[in-house]
Amino acid sequence: MDDRHDPAASSYRPTGWWLPALVVVVGLLASACGPASATSLVAEGLERRADGWHGLPLERERSLPDVTLRDVDGDPVEVDDAFAGTPTLMFFGYTSCPDICPVHLSAIASAMEGAGVSYHDLDVVFVSVDPDRDTPERIDDYLDNFSSEMVGLHEELPVVEEALAQLDLGGPVVEGEDPRGEGELIGHPAQVIGFDADGQAQRTWPFGARRSDWVADLPKVVEEWS
Amino acid sequence: MNVAFWCSSTPGQIWTWRYTPFLGVWLVAAAAIGGYLAAHRRAGQPVDRRRLRFWCLGVLALFLVSEWPVGQLGVGYLATVGIARYIVYSFVAAPLLIAGLPDWLVERWFPTGTRRERVLRTVTWWPIALLVFNVVLFGTHLPVTVDTLKTTQLGSFGVDVAHLAAALVWWWPAMRRAPADPNAIEEPLRAFYLFASSVLMFVPAAFLTFSPLPLYGLYELAPPLWLGFDPIADQQAAGIMMNIGGGFVLWGIIASLFLRWAAEQQARDAVTKRQRDARTLQRIAALADDDEDPAGLGHDRSRHPT
Repeated sequence: MDDRHDPAASSYRPTGWWLPALVVVVGLLASACGPASATSLVAEGLERRADGWHGLPLERERSLPDVTLRDVDGDPVEVDDAFAGTPTLMFFGYTSCPDICPVHLSAIASAMEGAGVSYHDLDVVFVSVDPDRDTPERIDDYLDNFSSEMVGLHEELPVVEEALAQLDLGGPVVEGEDPRGEGELIGHPAQVIGFDADGQAQRTWPFGARRSDWVADLPKVVEEWS
Repeated sequence: MNVAFWCSSTPGQIWTWRYTPFLGVWLVAAAAIGGYLAAHRRAGQPVDRRRLRFWCLGVLALFLVSEWPVGQLGVGYLATVGIARYIVYSFVAAPLLIAGLPDWLVERWFPTGTRRERVLRTVTWWPIALLVFNVVLFGTHLPVTVDTLKTTQLGSFGVDVAHLAAALVWWWPAMRRAPADPNAIEEPLRAFYLFASSVLMFVPAAFLTFSPLPLYGLYELAPPLWLGFDPIADQQAAGIMMNIGGGFVLWGIIASLFLRWAAEQQARDAVTKRQRDARTLQRIAALADDDEDPAGLGHDRSRHPT
């Protein structure tokens, strides 16, 4: 049958149901026009600044906190002494963190490898803000997912809060239940702080710093802050 | 329960296995199947079950990779799943949808002599179709496009529509048959046409596989589904996925189309040979008759083949 000459086909015209359907579709599309959420902006990464850095300079002086924490072997670590003499990246987080912590640590670990920067020339320190859940073993296992050469530190909450306060950072706060069913979500500073070999904080990298930002900045950290 | 229109990146949102229906996906699937059946009813045409099956499988393929969870994972969390979605849109759903279209429905939607038909003829002319497909392929996989458009539901919807439309345009000349469609191409041009696209697809695939840095901020900064599978590993897997989809799967399709064409040629040759043999036999029989009855007695000579 030659359906090209189908009389019904030639008499076809859009009928009345198209209009309400169109209204529904346009309505749904309009509802989908919500603005991109705030963090979508960070998908662009940090801009290269006029001074060549991607990390942001600090507005006021800060130094390595004068507190004593414990490493994963349980040994005390006097932070300001232990990390003086080598540039240091310090980050406060927790091992159950679903987003910011693994994204930051993964980016730093692979950028260290990509930029050819050794952990002998730069300390990367993770300080737990969740002493209830973050046992030394758990911190150790967690950091192994990124690099076994990262340093994990922990201590009771008041000591960690003191360290945060000295850096002018907010203390950890419980933000509610983790939707994955893994206990509570904890709010914590989202930036990585970079200290020079004298223990002076120089720059921060907020959440949104991408691997390309780290690859650009890490060699400078080693060269200019050692 | 969360409800959304279309899957989009939701930066910072932790992945959970809590169902989020995408209304737009349900709406599009219902409209595609409902519209197809309604068009048959309105035209008074019987439904060809084979074509209906192709059409429904095409819609099902679109539905499965657009609805939660595949849609959400592919747009917001894993580049690998994002590329898998593209492959299903381009190499599974689009050819199935075209295979489900009867000629009369194409004529109904694109009546001969109308502007719509002229546009269709223009964009499905194979050089233009090849260009459209590859411009969309390259354009929608640029980091700036992904990081900008996929962060909104409307942008993500637009990218999916572009992928499907480009794939339909691209498959059209390769799958339609002459004389119903003047743009239809046959072997060996069809094999070249499909092969050219598969080769071009290796370019973005190579960028994904060999880039030392994550190309897409959207996937790089997304909350990870599990530790240890970092964005570079995800991106490399996505590149390999595109190679397999764009290369080996497409080559498989090219090979099967070519073999089918070769089989058709062989069958046509066999028919021609049989006809020639039959004519030869008739001629021999006629000559034998002439030898036995040179005077033509008892025969009506006018019936003999000449």
